[in-house]
Amino acid sequence: MSDKLRISRRGLLQGAGALSLAGLAHPLTAWAQATGPIVIGTLTPQTGAGSIYGPGMRDAMAAVAKEVNAAGGVLGRQIRLVSEDDQTNPEATVRAARKLIDVDKAVAVLGPWASSVAAAVAPVCWESKTFCAIVGSADSITKLPHQGFLVRTQPNISAQAARFGKLAIDQGAKSIYFMGPQTPFTQIYIDVVAAMAKAKNIPFASEIYDGAKTSYRTEVEKALRAKPDVILLGGFVNDNAIVLREIFRAGYKGKLIGFGTGVNTKLLESVPPEAVEGVFAVTPSPALDSKAYQRFAKLIGNANPGPFESQAYDMINITLLAIAQAKQATGPAIRDAVRQVSQGGGTVVDNAVDGIKLISEGKKVNYDGASGSLEFDAVGDIVDAKFKIEQVKGGKLSTLEIS
Amino acid sequence: MDQYLIAMGTFACIYGLMTISLNLSWGITGMVNLGIAGFFGIGAYTSALLTTGLHWPVALGIVAAMVAGAVAGAGLTFATLRLRDDYLAIVTLGFAEIVRLVIMNELWLTNGSDGISGIPAPFPRTYGYAFALPFLGLMLMVLGVCYLLSTRLLHSPYGRVLRAIRDDNEVTAVAGKDVVRFKLKTFALSTAIAGAAGALYGHYTSFIAPDVFAPLLTIYIFLALTIGGTGNARGAVLGAFILIAILESSRFFPHLMPGFSAVQHAALREMLVAVVFVVCLMFRPDGLLPERRVKRTETPRAGDA
Repeated sequence: MSDKLRISRRGLLQGAGALSLAGLAHPLTAWAQATGPIVIGTLTPQTGAGSIYGPGMRDAMAAVAKEVNAAGGVLGRQIRLVSEDDQTNPEATVRAARKLIDVDKAVAVLGPWASSVAAAVAPVCWESKTFCAIVGSADSITKLPHQGFLVRTQPNISAQAARFGKLAIDQGAKSIYFMGPQTPFTQIYIDVVAAMAKAKNIPFASEIYDGAKTSYRTEVEKALRAKPDVILLGGFVNDNAIVLREIFRAGYKGKLIGFGTGVNTKLLESVPPEAVEGVFAVTPSPALDSKAYQRFAKLIGNANPGPFESQAYDMINITLLAIAQAKQATGPAIRDAVRQVSQGGGTVVDNAVDGIKLISEGKKVNYDGASGSLEFDAVGDIVDAKFKIEQVKGGKLSTLEIS
Repeated sequence: MDQYLIAMGTFACIYGLMTISLNLSWGITGMVNLGIAGFFGIGAYTSALLTTGLHWPVALGIVAAMVAGAVAGAGLTFATLRLRDDYLAIVTLGFAEIVRLVIMNELWLTNGSDGISGIPAPFPRTYGYAFALPFLGLMLMVLGVCYLLSTRLLHSPYGRVLRAIRDDNEVTAVAGKDVVRFKLKTFALSTAIAGAAGALYGHYTSFIAPDVFAPLLTIYIFLALTIGGTGNARGAVLGAFILIAILESSRFFPHLMPGFSAVQHAALREMLVAVVFVVCLMFRPDGLLPERRVKRTETPRAGDA
């Protein structure tokens, strides 16, 4: 306490120094690598653009740590969760990650959400041999030379685009047209769907528009000249609202498919019901009917946890299971063991507490999580991502399937 | 912990380069530059593209980043010659956003929002002292050189003209100084330093993306310079180190206060940073190391003659 008093007397310059000293003293509890608690770092967007998701993700991980600790921890050691804020900013993230790894000696950093943030954290983790599980969906991240230290629980952009294209083909498309605003991902959507259409000999055309316009008459006319029977909408709520009105006015009779970020309840509020009737929406989804999801919902006392919270739940569960499997709490050990507990057969478990018990009895486990069955390919991408397919019926979104 | 302190020291040096840059244009010459993140970005991308794409040596990449920063700075000065104060601030802020948007959208060159990964470093990149210490040494050296140069500049006749321009554009012109030329040169010099800072950031962290150059960075630099004290390079460098000390030590503080949730910790941390800055400015409005005003040599009073 005397430190604090001195700060007020000595002026701010020394105060700043004292602050750092206070920081020095605090993490001394984390020195013990092999006997003390196992430190898991959460790095989620608590502030900034991602802050609607970050707190829920962090709380999900804290809930798991708590229940595992109550059941005796892993390898007889308790879990100490240390949380930092990635500020949804890649520059601030690097500093936060360094603190988790250098000061707290975290063996895993879980949660980076935005793509740019995840890509900034990745090299810090693989260089320091720290395990890392991310959300950020840009395809390029898992292609980095991460030596296996990185896994991603969110389907990448190509996987999302492929689900989009599959729905169009499943709907019996004879001619597909894609229209979407200029975003960093639009070209990937087009390339992926174009390749799928070509493989099935379905004519495909596309256009990229300026997402901030107030009228899309020429864009829609151009689209309809291609005579599509399925139009894919890559837009968000604001542009979709205008595009859908113009498509309806032009008397288009074919099918329409949009992303969940652009076809949702907000869109339904801003467009006349007849213009959106029958429109499909595709959204990455948790495995809503899985046992893990229902258990997770109960654990955090929220009936409908979102996809990112569900992924955070899975991230920490597989990390703890991997530590139990490897009998060692280090980054490389988690890296080597994570696929042994997430896939490849064995007793199916939906939480770390049960899994740790089974592993200690010498059994092989296969974790099936709240966000899906959680199987990773060689570069760390999720193989069987779940999507929710909805359709507007009678002015309301109704779920057709989760697959 | 020592690894962490070395890393934060390196970041503080990078921030220090930017505060020296901002001090040259804003603190000494009075040209507000809210676009400093843009020049940082131009430097970072120039060096990153040349060293990853064309395999230039890192040192040449950094030199190219300085040239690119200087050219962009000179161009912007030409475009804004008639602007001062708020108007210059808005235009430079717009410039930084344009840089960010161009980088975001010119996928063929910049890889868009994916950013550029695997930027090489001047030393083999490993986790540990073998990489961290030499890099910190390099940064301290670069910062030291920039510090000495800008201090020297400040005390030279050239620096006096710059301060005169800051205090009164027109009087300086009437005194026979080519104000445009002085402004152009100084702004280009300051943006060259910002470009070098960007390049070094890229070579240090190995990854850059348009999001790194968000306006938040510019705000941090302004805060650092204001706290340290404008108009002199010592204040600029001190401000950068204090900024990093505040940003980083605030991570440890909220956790000492029990009874708050994780999301409240994050909010508390931001509040703490803000409060420290406000308090600092209440008690030291000119910064911790304010500019020393040159005292007039006393003119003899009539009676003394």
